[in-house]
Amino acid sequence: MKKINKISVLLILLLGLTFTSCETTDLDLVNDPNQVTVVNGDLERYMTAIQVDFKSFANAMGGNGASLVRIGQMGSVNYVNAFAPASTNFEWRLAYSNMFSDMKNAEELATSLGARNKHIGVMKVLKAYTLMALVDYFGDVPFSEATNLADFPQPNLDDDASVYAAAISMLDDAKTLLQDDESISIGVDYYYNNNFDKWVKLANTLKMNAYLNTRLVDGDAINKLNAIANSGNFIASTADDFQFRYDVVVNNQIDSRHPGYQSDYTAGGVTGYQSNWMMDQMLQDGDPRIRYYYYRQNECTPNSIGEDGAACAPNPEALFCSTQAKPVHYPGSMVFCSVENGYWGRDHGFGGGIPPDTFLRTGRGVYPVGGNYDDSRFASVGLEQGGGGAGITPIWLASWSHFMLAEVALVSGGAASGYLQDAMQISIDKTMSFGSLDGEADLSTTDNGGTVPTSGTVSDYISAKVSEFNNGDMATKWNVLGLQSFVAHYGNGSNSYNYYRRTGYPTTLQFTVEPTPGNFVRSFFYPADEATPNPNVAQKPNVDGQVFWDNNPSSPGFPSAN
Amino acid sequence: MRTKFSGILTLLLAFVVQLTFAQEKTISGTVSDNSGLPLPGVNIIVKGTSNGTQSDFDGNYTVNANVGQALVFSYVGFNSVERAVTAATSNISLQLTEDAESLEEVVVTALGIKKEKKALGYAVSSIKEEAIKDNPETDLTRVLQGKTAGIEITTQNGISGSANKVIIRGMNSFSGNNNALYVIDGVPYSNDTNASGDFVDGNSGSSRSFDIDPNNIENIDILKGLAATTLYGTDGRNGVILITTKTGSTKNISAKQEVNISTSYFFNEVASLPDYQDKYGGGFDQAFGWFYSNWGPGFYEEGLGGWGSDAAFDENGTLAHPYSTSAFLGANYPDYQALYEGARYDWKPRNSVEQFFKTGGVSSISANFKGRSEDNKFNYGMAFGQVEDEGFTPGNKVTRTNLTVSGGAKLTNKLNVRGSMTYTKTNFKTPPVAASFGSSTFGSGSSIFGDLYYTPRSIDFYELPYEAPDGSSIYYRDDNAIQHPLWTIQNAKFSQNVNRLNGFASLDYNFNDNINLRYQGSIDTYSENNVNKQNRGGRTGDLVTDSGFYSTWNNTNTISDHNLVLSGNNYSFLNDNLGFNFMAGATSRNRKFDRIGIDSFGQQVFDFFNHEGFTDYGYIEYHEERNIVGLYGQLSFDVNNWVFLNLSGRQDWVSNTSKNNTLFYPSASMSFIPTSAFKGMKSDKGINYMKLRVGYGTSANFSSGYPTATGLSLNTQGWLDETENTTNSFVGNPNIKPELFAEVEYGVEMKLFSRVNLDLTYFTRITEDLIIGNNPIPLSTGAGFTSTNVGEIKSWGIEAELGLDVLKRSEGFNWNVNVNFFANESEVTDIGDNDILIYAGFTNLGNGARVGYPLGAMFGSRIARDEDGNLLVDGVGNYLADQVDEDGVLPFIGDPNPDFVMNYTNTFEYKGLSLGFAINHTSGGDIYSTTTATLMGRGLTTDTENRLSTYILPGVNINTGLPNDIQINNSNFYFDNGFASPADELSVYDGSVVRLREVNVAYSLPSKLLNKTPFGKVTIKASAFNMWYNAYNTPDGVNFDPNTTGLGAGNGQGFEFLTGPSSKRYGMSVNLSF
Repeated sequence: MKKINKISVLLILLLGLTFTSCETTDLDLVNDPNQVTVVNGDLERYMTAIQVDFKSFANAMGGNGASLVRIGQMGSVNYVNAFAPASTNFEWRLAYSNMFSDMKNAEELATSLGARNKHIGVMKVLKAYTLMALVDYFGDVPFSEATNLADFPQPNLDDDASVYAAAISMLDDAKTLLQDDESISIGVDYYYNNNFDKWVKLANTLKMNAYLNTRLVDGDAINKLNAIANSGNFIASTADDFQFRYDVVVNNQIDSRHPGYQSDYTAGGVTGYQSNWMMDQMLQDGDPRIRYYYYRQNECTPNSIGEDGAACAPNPEALFCSTQAKPVHYPGSMVFCSVENGYWGRDHGFGGGIPPDTFLRTGRGVYPVGGNYDDSRFASVGLEQGGGGAGITPIWLASWSHFMLAEVALVSGGAASGYLQDAMQISIDKTMSFGSLDGEADLSTTDNGGTVPTSGTVSDYISAKVSEFNNGDMATKWNVLGLQSFVAHYGNGSNSYNYYRRTGYPTTLQFTVEPTPGNFVRSFFYPADEATPNPNVAQKPNVDGQVFWDNNPSSPGFPSAN
Repeated sequence: MRTKFSGILTLLLAFVVQLTFAQEKTISGTVSDNSGLPLPGVNIIVKGTSNGTQSDFDGNYTVNANVGQALVFSYVGFNSVERAVTAATSNISLQLTEDAESLEEVVVTALGIKKEKKALGYAVSSIKEEAIKDNPETDLTRVLQGKTAGIEITTQNGISGSANKVIIRGMNSFSGNNNALYVIDGVPYSNDTNASGDFVDGNSGSSRSFDIDPNNIENIDILKGLAATTLYGTDGRNGVILITTKTGSTKNISAKQEVNISTSYFFNEVASLPDYQDKYGGGFDQAFGWFYSNWGPGFYEEGLGGWGSDAAFDENGTLAHPYSTSAFLGANYPDYQALYEGARYDWKPRNSVEQFFKTGGVSSISANFKGRSEDNKFNYGMAFGQVEDEGFTPGNKVTRTNLTVSGGAKLTNKLNVRGSMTYTKTNFKTPPVAASFGSSTFGSGSSIFGDLYYTPRSIDFYELPYEAPDGSSIYYRDDNAIQHPLWTIQNAKFSQNVNRLNGFASLDYNFNDNINLRYQGSIDTYSENNVNKQNRGGRTGDLVTDSGFYSTWNNTNTISDHNLVLSGNNYSFLNDNLGFNFMAGATSRNRKFDRIGIDSFGQQVFDFFNHEGFTDYGYIEYHEERNIVGLYGQLSFDVNNWVFLNLSGRQDWVSNTSKNNTLFYPSASMSFIPTSAFKGMKSDKGINYMKLRVGYGTSANFSSGYPTATGLSLNTQGWLDETENTTNSFVGNPNIKPELFAEVEYGVEMKLFSRVNLDLTYFTRITEDLIIGNNPIPLSTGAGFTSTNVGEIKSWGIEAELGLDVLKRSEGFNWNVNVNFFANESEVTDIGDNDILIYAGFTNLGNGARVGYPLGAMFGSRIARDEDGNLLVDGVGNYLADQVDEDGVLPFIGDPNPDFVMNYTNTFEYKGLSLGFAINHTSGGDIYSTTTATLMGRGLTTDTENRLSTYILPGVNINTGLPNDIQINNSNFYFDNGFASPADELSVYDGSVVRLREVNVAYSLPSKLLNKTPFGKVTIKASAFNMWYNAYNTPDGVNFDPNTTGLGAGNGQGFEFLTGPSSKRYGMSVNLSF
């Protein structure tokens, strides 16, 4: 009996050790201690995230379009490999997984808090812009089944025209919400500092842009555009520019500098390449913005003429193509490899290995990234130079509205040259206002021995271009308008990419170095991170697919410059 | 019968009953084995009594018995012998003969239960002490390489102490851990690998199985199949490596005291250096340039490709010194550059990469002590080991110290207590290792190998100072885009200092001879202090990294485990014809992982590493905890000792999901011994022994982490000082279920002609409801990842082990050959609605699951093909790339799974001398090798020496549709259509390799010589590891070693991103026992 007791005591003790004395049997450890949960979400914090992601989206998309239309440099030999599916994961993620997903939660919060219609309005404007940009680049995109994981784990694509229509009605809704006087302001508004009249102007301008893009497929689009234009309630002056202003703060958690500045102002020199065509175009034209857009580290590009007029010897080590003959398919007037005066970039579609040239290449200037103003100092780039990166990403500028109106006038037989002149003037004024960001720069004007164009030079330049426009045939008009518009879109090429697909102009763009680069990118591959896991988003076989508003001839054959 | 057997082992010595009769005699003698060597530990009992003894270390014994009684000599694995005691008997010396039927007999199975091997219905491989100790490899996991069929060891690289992974019978799961479970003396032992970052930014860090001291191991039993591991529950699903240490062993020792001391020294050298060509130097397209590539002019003046026609050279064939022309120095250090004004640089081949690696040394000492009290009621063990392993890479070293104390006591006749505790201190340091595509690193970390291997032949980095006046890295490139390898060695360091404690306490209570209750509590805890640091002035291109960083963090991982087992043994029924055992147990296990640390950036004072000296700080923090509670049971039956049946099952509960958090998994196995059942089958000249077995087992894998939780990420510096929150790209799945494994295995074991041992196993496996912890889901859902159960994988395989005693003499020459063979195939048969699931690597280049392809298949871009499958070439003669295949899915580019793996081990013995060597042959298995692609693409190895002609790629011109006839030059061929091509497929090679894994010569001093010394045994052994290999389908000059993994210790396979060479080791050891 005693023995049995002893045994039971032992048993109970041991069982106790196993199952009660320790936390080893707790079967409810389902909450992740490493993160807060969705119930901790805060509306203003969502607003910050959405605004910050939006500028990244606009900037990255703008860079994609720019490199296709030679505002930036394209490093792929052929078009089909220029934007591999994985290359646009970042933009797509920003749109859907960050912004749209945050907007969904934020809208619910805004609604439950009440008096937050302005918050919702701002989100709708940003979402409309994003959706239209997605359509412009990809065609059909997920919309009605997007951001609803429970019901649609594999969203289907929506027809691109319907997404555009939805975006336009979203902008109409936004206008109403933005004008709700009962609603309180946003905690921090990085774009318009809670000036909601400007937000309304933006919404109108984005609608105009939608009509401009759809003018080939919608006979009424021009009228709808003009109706808004006639109201005058759109972005027409620089004070209303829709842009994101960067800062100079950089630490391990945040790099607030313009991404273009981040890559070009490093201790190891300039990381990116600028487009030879764009630099040559502005140089030959005597464009007053060239020293703001580009910063030269070197005054002599191999196999060309330097700024001092002396010949520069070929140098295959630093610029491999400087010993090569111009490709036979390039017309004689087309720049190849070496731009004069030390502008050092790459040709369209040149994808060779990277030589040691980072202290020779031309970098981005003071506009729009906040780098150096090029006062012919020819010093190497380095950290913290110039404007320190406190530049802007232009998302919609007043000048662009005037280019839009010029195009409308041109297609509807109206007087376009006034719009062209205004557009150029506004663009040049804005660009030149950036000079002062570079505190080191010598900003004296050319008549005082400096490099900054005088107002006389600027107006001469504008008049020359306007008269070229006025005196030219239609093709010349489209070319001049296109070239001027492209130059003014330096910093965000999305509109220019659309212009090129809409009009096929300018026809004077530099060809790819490779004579047979394949068909031009009429729309992008779907991002790998969408197409791979989503059986309802079939990857495109090529880049020939045209978005709904592009009813121009199919590739090849359009656009002519290819 | 059963009672007697196990009684001999465990009970009899405990009951020393003194019986006194008339005519008692003292009998003594020596027991030896069939080769004449003394046999210690032989049980000698007086038949019919519990009186007995054991032979001592020299095989000697003394026992008292009466005339008319008989002595029974028995020893595991040998036939028992009975001898009568007569009036004349005073000495009985004899040789025991091996029992063919037993085949090493007792093995350790799940939960430390010892079983006769013939009773097992599943495969268990045992590896003995001799095969493990005094090995040149200090990492036990690496030592296991090739030792038995079906176990694959992949090592990260040859860095001493670098990570490893152990996969038994192939992978089963793509998101769960596929590594085998380590269990030491019944205690689960963590084999985590906590790398410094991910494979892109930092892939340094040891696997924690490195903490095991191989010299304290008595025996390793490897449970390969699920039928064998069911009792371990979910943790045993990948197979179990059961380690019995010398100090933890419950085996009775014969002597009162045993001491074993061994010491060794090995040299450690780089094994996979390329054969660099010395005909051409740095440049591109035959023109000189300070480039990464080596396509420059020849080191000869005249003739095609010579330097004579290049304007960069003066008439003496010298160049302007790179530091005199560097634009980086001009821009940043003009005064320093002035020192080089006018300096010239000779144009000649240089060998700095070869000089970079040094010969490391591996020294170790270990001592083991075991003893027991006179009455055998108390015993103790102690082990001490110290290893210092210096790598061939400067800055790499790992040291390990182990100290174990253990002991046991029989408190009453019924209660036993035992305990053991091991303290381990491991210090690992290495220069950083991170992925590279052959142009420096592409992540934000430094990598020593990423900048080293492709040094152009004309560059000697020892001639080029690596430090600017402020300590920043400088190097030959004009833009200084590469970090100087010597700067990296000097300024970038990672270290991991581990303090680890593991041990157990157990109580055994024997209710009677049959019933036993056992409790074991155990703990395994390590504290891993990590320091990752780099001075400011690096050249990774990442501003934050290059500002200097200092990260310090601690990982604490604790596994607490409780086990309570009630077992009943040795029941017999029906006149002993039916035997029966049972066991029932309960277990609970807690694993808690905490990481916390600080990440500082912006170093203010060069070489000052203290967080005080940095401008910006970040946090490093992660926590994870999970409990598993299990109940298990086992029933075993045998009929006449020739049919054995084993049924077991386990139910597990886990804590990190609220639904689907429990599962029951059963297993059953049976073995049948025809040679016992049908006595006629058995003959000495034919079949000595035969066993057939069949086993069915199941297991499950539960999600790790917090698969059901959906979070929100919070960033206190979303923009400047504003806090932002954003929805996480991961969304939880409340319905996540465990993934299920089921396996059937069939096997046959045979012993033939008294000299052939054969063990064959065939298994099939199926994994269902696979968990994908981070399953990419369409971004358009608003998320990016979730946890899902999807799909099915089927696999099957063959394991074969053949042992052959070619020559077998009791005295003299023995020659034994062992061959093991493993082949397995797997196929993904279902992945739900998905076309493909990429689970390791990058989304556009990685391992993926796709229906119809083997698990582990590699996917990436391939060379474009037309409808007929012809390769497509563009207008200038280069291959075009396809991002998608004809089904619109990321193309398949290779299968990293080998066709088969075969290991041959030969052992020759002559008296005290033995010679052994082991050869491995891995046939097939693709590898995406950045090392090979880079060395070829940059024109560095002898493979690229013949380069002055032109090349035409086979394929079809996309513009003309005709066969390609465009001639391209060397750099187009190797560079543009090699590693720089957008087609990843061009970097995939066949990883077949033949390897001389091990060679050793050992000599044991004759015992006569040692009679007058205190030593019982002295062995001197010389051994060498990985002295030669040939990956025969890769370019010869690259000398690539495919046993490397660029994706770390996770589930990635077949990728290598310039992540490091392998090592070879050779040296000597001396082993003393007394």
